[in-house]
Amino acid sequence: MGVPVSPVITAGTLLFIAGAGLLLAMVSGRAAPRLWLMGIAVGTGAALAAAVGVLAGWADWDWRSGFEIGGEQLHFRLDAISALFLALLGVVGGLGAVYAQEYWAEERHPRSARAGRLGWAVLVAAIGLVLVSANGLHFLIAWEAFTVASYFLITLDRQRRDVRAAGWLYLGASHVATLCLFAFFAILAVRTGSWELGSMQEQEELAPLFWLALAAFGLKAGMFPLHIWLPSAHANAPSHVSAMLSGVSIKLGIYGLVRFSGWLPVPAAAGWVIALLGVISAVLGVAFALGQHDLKRLLAYHSVENIGIILIGIGFALLAVAQGQAAWGRIALAGGLLHVWNHGLFKSLLFLGAGSVVHAAGTREMSRLGGLWTRMPWTAGLFALGAAAISGLPPLNGFVSEWLVYLGLFDAVESRGTAALAAAFAAVMLAATGALALACFIKVCGVVFLGTPRSAGAVRALEAGQRMRVPMIVLALGCVAIGLAPVLVWPALARAAAAWNPAWGSLGMPPALGALGRIHAAVAILAAVAAAWLWARTRRAGLRRGLTWDCGYAGPTARMQYTAGSFAGTLTEWFAWILRPQRHELRAVATFPERAGFEEHTPEVVLEHVIQPAGGVVLQVANTARRIHHGRVQAYLLYLVAGVVGLGLLVLLGARP
Amino acid sequence: MSTLLDILLRLTLWILLAPLLPGIINQVKAWVAGRRGPPVLQLYYDLSRLWRKSVVMSTLASPGFVAGPAVAWVALVGAAILLPIGPFGGGLSFKGDVILLVYLLAVARFCTTWAAMETGSAFEGMGAAREVSYAVLTEAALITAILALSVESGSVALDRMLALSAGTGAVLLAAGLFAVLLAENCRVPFDDPNTHLELTMIHEVMVLDHSGPPLAVILHGAALKLLLFAVLLSEAVLPMGRMSPLAATAALVGAVGAVTIGVGLVESLLARFAFRRVPLLLTIAFLLCLFALLLAWKGGPA
Repeated sequence: MGVPVSPVITAGTLLFIAGAGLLLAMVSGRAAPRLWLMGIAVGTGAALAAAVGVLAGWADWDWRSGFEIGGEQLHFRLDAISALFLALLGVVGGLGAVYAQEYWAEERHPRSARAGRLGWAVLVAAIGLVLVSANGLHFLIAWEAFTVASYFLITLDRQRRDVRAAGWLYLGASHVATLCLFAFFAILAVRTGSWELGSMQEQEELAPLFWLALAAFGLKAGMFPLHIWLPSAHANAPSHVSAMLSGVSIKLGIYGLVRFSGWLPVPAAAGWVIALLGVISAVLGVAFALGQHDLKRLLAYHSVENIGIILIGIGFALLAVAQGQAAWGRIALAGGLLHVWNHGLFKSLLFLGAGSVVHAAGTREMSRLGGLWTRMPWTAGLFALGAAAISGLPPLNGFVSEWLVYLGLFDAVESRGTAALAAAFAAVMLAATGALALACFIKVCGVVFLGTPRSAGAVRALEAGQRMRVPMIVLALGCVAIGLAPVLVWPALARAAAAWNPAWGSLGMPPALGALGRIHAAVAILAAVAAAWLWARTRRAGLRRGLTWDCGYAGPTARMQYTAGSFAGTLTEWFAWILRPQRHELRAVATFPERAGFEEHTPEVVLEHVIQPAGGVVLQVANTARRIHHGRVQAYLLYLVAGVVGLGLLVLLGARP
Repeated sequence: MSTLLDILLRLTLWILLAPLLPGIINQVKAWVAGRRGPPVLQLYYDLSRLWRKSVVMSTLASPGFVAGPAVAWVALVGAAILLPIGPFGGGLSFKGDVILLVYLLAVARFCTTWAAMETGSAFEGMGAAREVSYAVLTEAALITAILALSVESGSVALDRMLALSAGTGAVLLAAGLFAVLLAENCRVPFDDPNTHLELTMIHEVMVLDHSGPPLAVILHGAALKLLLFAVLLSEAVLPMGRMSPLAATAALVGAVGAVTIGVGLVESLLARFAFRRVPLLLTIAFLLCLFALLLAWKGGPA
């Protein structure tokens, strides 16, 4: 690790400035929007600077204060792993605030705009605290603050029943995760005798705790089948909050997994389980996305998919540790970690784009949108870029991280170790996932932005204003920059990987990464030149506009376009075994049929077919057990006596040996 | 400088030779049917004519309608440059270039289907939906084939992967890749490049609304993709690295010719499958590649 550039500006001072900025934002959030924005800008900017500094080689920041909370000294630490996630928070937290100024403005949402600003400041601060806490108790407190702040932001628009239901589900699921974390940290504190967190690799008996961490952080990250809260929360939250949830919040689940698999010993099966869950999340996440007709719900399922890709990288890194194969483990880990950033960038971009669409057209239903590119060219173009990036297409950033994961998998196959066949399977599934994601995003872009408008709302849509456009442009530039110059982000990944497993030593850059960046740049330039040239040639050759060719039919209407459901029909049929689509068909029967109709809906399979029945059983048992609460005092005395006798027997029997 | 010259030479070669293949296929089909058929160079004439024609564009189409084909063409050319040409090796060989090749093909697919969705026509929507749906299986098969080659050669760089033959699984791999070639290039039995009934097709229906120079670019790109797959298939099966440069060149030309004639023969002797059976056939292609992978796993250099 290098030394700080100057004795004044260190990661520590920057983080204190960040804290002060966020405090200012919290105080001013209700009354003074401008001051609030300034506070957020200072807070996220300083946090981003601190994170970049640590990733660029400043010394790790480790700070203890004499001040105690809950009997524990405050202890903060910013190392490369924390910094990786903090940088993402800085970017999305700042840009989301700018976007919210217009998107969730006072005029449109007089009831909730103030609460939204306050909640945003609290959320950013809480996530930041989770990332720097080096004490189990404070980690838990910050985690709970982060969960509750997210809840209030998700339910900003709580006049709507859907929003309240989504918020409730989120709160319930999050608290199951918190409960697991409580158990995790409590057992950890009992076993180690302290709440302090740090590397405990030598204490082998702590390994089983990993399963608790996996349940808690897996729920947060939204990996399949623990993703039940994710689609409705992302769909019903305001879009800047969805961007934050998908771009940063669910990454905290990944942060937890990376953090504690690095600090604690893990069971032998950990790598296998995470890799398998990753593959399942990736394939089924995108399969469920294909079945959606709500724009934001579809994007939410893509979060499940991308979390899957990240988990594949981390899972194979764990396998590599278990098998002593540093060479491919490091590359897989670097790919997974880079995908954290990449998904944060392009998914925030897509959610902000979806927010602009919802803002303009007033609906999330894709079957009511269409032809928006004429009215919203900026949003359409930026969304298209995000779509290409999330489909893993070169020369954008999504491909760089998937390429690194592929390289790790291919090297694992060639090593011919025990993980080789699993790696081959994961590689094939990753390829299928990529093709499915491409299908899904062609569907989204085609149905929402191309063709003709399908509803009056879509006809009246207007382009988003400056303050909504600028954050999207910045995120898009981020996607392009990582795609064209992957070499620049490599040192950050290498430091994070080294912090995760110091035994692997420093991580040399794969020489091919430079070649990949150069080819990306060449492809980007050539594509731009070719498009411009072909456009010029077309104009010169003579360009006429005419009606779309519909087999000679001269009166095409908006209703005759291909719909989102039909587009994905073939693929959703392949996955019908898990999607369980509900179809309602009104067949045309008579010679001159009066009406015909077809409706298809993909349910939340895990929620409706697993969680709800299980919850029903629990409620039924509880209802039965309630009968003993009938209010007769004599019976209650009997319970008391029986209880005391039972305890007495227990003590007697237990004391014998 | 010499690298740049090398790349320019390859570029010229790929661009000039690509339109030959559809001509050969049409010749084979004509020969089997007992017709005289169009000249072998017909596509060259078509392209030069289309390049000079004016364009009619749908009123709904955005600039992406023209940019799509251009970007797709660049992606296909990029993929072709990555592919080594027999004894001359790869132009830009690096570790992991094979994955870039697969994803450049995906870029081309994204752009083509995007342009198809521009027109708001149900027919073009159908074509695009079929294209992206079947691609899921072809991409899985392609990656499996690449895994087999990678296991066989112990490398993830195209020039080493394609230098050796595919070993014991070569026949399986050839069959699998041939099916992938037919599907990716929309040939019979997956698609019929000849019909002009909009309902029955994948590729042709996506480009219904294109005309003039953009259509020329699309047709040239399709020819390029066919040549790319033919070269990939030939080099995967033939042990290029073990032959003398002259023999390797001759073998490559012969193999590409054989593949092209094979496509023509399939097209003459088979009818297009019902769309329901296409996934089945593609699954078989995937399984063939998978067995090639397992054979390579068992028999390769341990």
